[in-house]
Amino acid sequence: MSDPAPAVEIRNLVKEFKTSFRRKPLRAVDDVSIRIMPGEVYGLIGPNGSGKSTTMKALLGLVAPSSGQCSIYGRDSLKVDSRDEVGFLPENPYFYKHLSGAETLRFYGKLCGLGGRKLEDRVGELLALVDLEGARDRRLGGYSKGMLQRIGLAQALVQEPRLVILDEPTAGVDPLGSRQIRDLILKLRERGITVFLCSHLLEQVQEVCDRVGIIFRGKMVREGKLEDLIAIEDQSEIVLRDASPELLEKIKELVESTPGASVVKTGKPRTTLERLFLREISEDAP
Amino acid sequence: MSSTAATSSKGSHLSRIWVIATHTFTQLVRMKVFYFLAVFAVIAIASNFFDLPQHEGPEAVGANVLRSIKSWSLGAMTLFSVVLSVVATALLLPKDAEDRTLYTILAKPVPRFDYLAGKLLGVLLLVFVSLALMDALMTAVLQVRTNMVVAQQEEMAKAMGWPQDAITSLRNETLESGPNASLQGAVFAVFLRASIMASLALLISTFSSSTLFTTIVSFLIYFIGHFQADARNLYLHSGEAGEGVFARLASLLLSLVLPDFQLFNVIDAVIEGQVLPMIAVAKLALVGLYYAVFFTIASWFIFADKEF
Repeated sequence: MSDPAPAVEIRNLVKEFKTSFRRKPLRAVDDVSIRIMPGEVYGLIGPNGSGKSTTMKALLGLVAPSSGQCSIYGRDSLKVDSRDEVGFLPENPYFYKHLSGAETLRFYGKLCGLGGRKLEDRVGELLALVDLEGARDRRLGGYSKGMLQRIGLAQALVQEPRLVILDEPTAGVDPLGSRQIRDLILKLRERGITVFLCSHLLEQVQEVCDRVGIIFRGKMVREGKLEDLIAIEDQSEIVLRDASPELLEKIKELVESTPGASVVKTGKPRTTLERLFLREISEDAP
Repeated sequence: MSSTAATSSKGSHLSRIWVIATHTFTQLVRMKVFYFLAVFAVIAIASNFFDLPQHEGPEAVGANVLRSIKSWSLGAMTLFSVVLSVVATALLLPKDAEDRTLYTILAKPVPRFDYLAGKLLGVLLLVFVSLALMDALMTAVLQVRTNMVVAQQEEMAKAMGWPQDAITSLRNETLESGPNASLQGAVFAVFLRASIMASLALLISTFSSSTLFTTIVSFLIYFIGHFQADARNLYLHSGEAGEGVFARLASLLLSLVLPDFQLFNVIDAVIEGQVLPMIAVAKLALVGLYYAVFFTIASWFIFADKEF
């Protein structure tokens, strides 16, 4: 079986910006290489100003690399046709406020060469996917932040791209909206769409990503499969339901009697604050 | 499979430019720019009252008012179309970049030239529709007033015992001061001048970072354009400076880059009742097209390498 072409290939990307006051240019991205295979969900994490957005912009041809190369499904990012199969949601986007949700999707669809019945069907399908059917004819000026992010995600998907690039998709969105976007990303993964996202919300990245890269001061400091990166190799976890204190004591004794093994911690697993919040505000809550 | 489908459905440059143009038109319409038409209507109607009393004879009756309607209307059309072209163009590009909507458009398979051409075409579409509406209003007001003047003149001439052929001749002369092909040619010249200004503002906004800078520089060039031909002539015909090959080349280069708006003085001639021949309109159209294409291509050269 031949190895498929990577969805994203960034090779030794360097991006320097000229600064007005200093002679030395600012190196925003320093020798970064990323390879994302089709169907993967890749998360790029790092603090503000670490070069995440610049890397994404270079991949989309919005900035030209100082050196190195970026390609999407084998096509050079500086060429327009590399964008045929990409959907992009920038950080904090403000779409045209004078357009309604449906008009926005129609506009982006037409830019991708869609039209007629096919476009109308696609608009309806996407509004249903992002749960904005009720706001289809409302102007974007009246949308909440979460709704704007969701319509942004819908426009990114309008031409059925094989790759979706999301820059801080949940920035400024409340936990409920953030969860909806997370669920959408999971849906994309189920459909086999490759996702390249960057976020500050590490817990969300952990929930959705297959592979993760950590970028700091423009350099890739760690990269790999999520489970490999966060697993503590010399420890194991057993979660029991309705275990009596006696049973727990027996297990503890069994472990203690085994040479080389020890109990590190016992106790009740905790839910996250996000899960607690979502459970409390859900409609089924008492 | 899906790759082939996506490639085949990309659409042509023209269709993409048209999508961006119609969107820009809608955007500007929804920004309520057509409100200025109400101001124009007031100007067109008010210009009816600028009739200086003259009692020398039937031929003088109403001559001023017809000129006044044309003068005020074409003046207002020039003002509105130039302001609209410059301000709308200067506003749209920085706004898209600031709101990051530009990213979402350029992240689609949209060449940067298509984006620029679409924005410019959208503004021109708006200017064209605005001028067409203003033209319709001016023509209607002028037609009604011309009929009134003709009736007034006939009545006065008959009372003074003019012969019938003299009355007919006066009638034809007055009708020529009403709506005619030359007047439509003048409105088209106003549109051409606004088109040059829009494409110039587009060029400036590709390297300027603020709407204010683009607007100020565009208007500065507009004013320079009104006397650059005089300045060139003065330079070339004043002593030794203008005799050298270098001076002539520099002057030629200047006129290729900076539009000579004195060419549009034909609009004033039309107000004064002169005929605007088709050949003059065609010449102006070529000049307008040259500058619009030149500025758009220059914008593209800058915009193609711009980083966001």
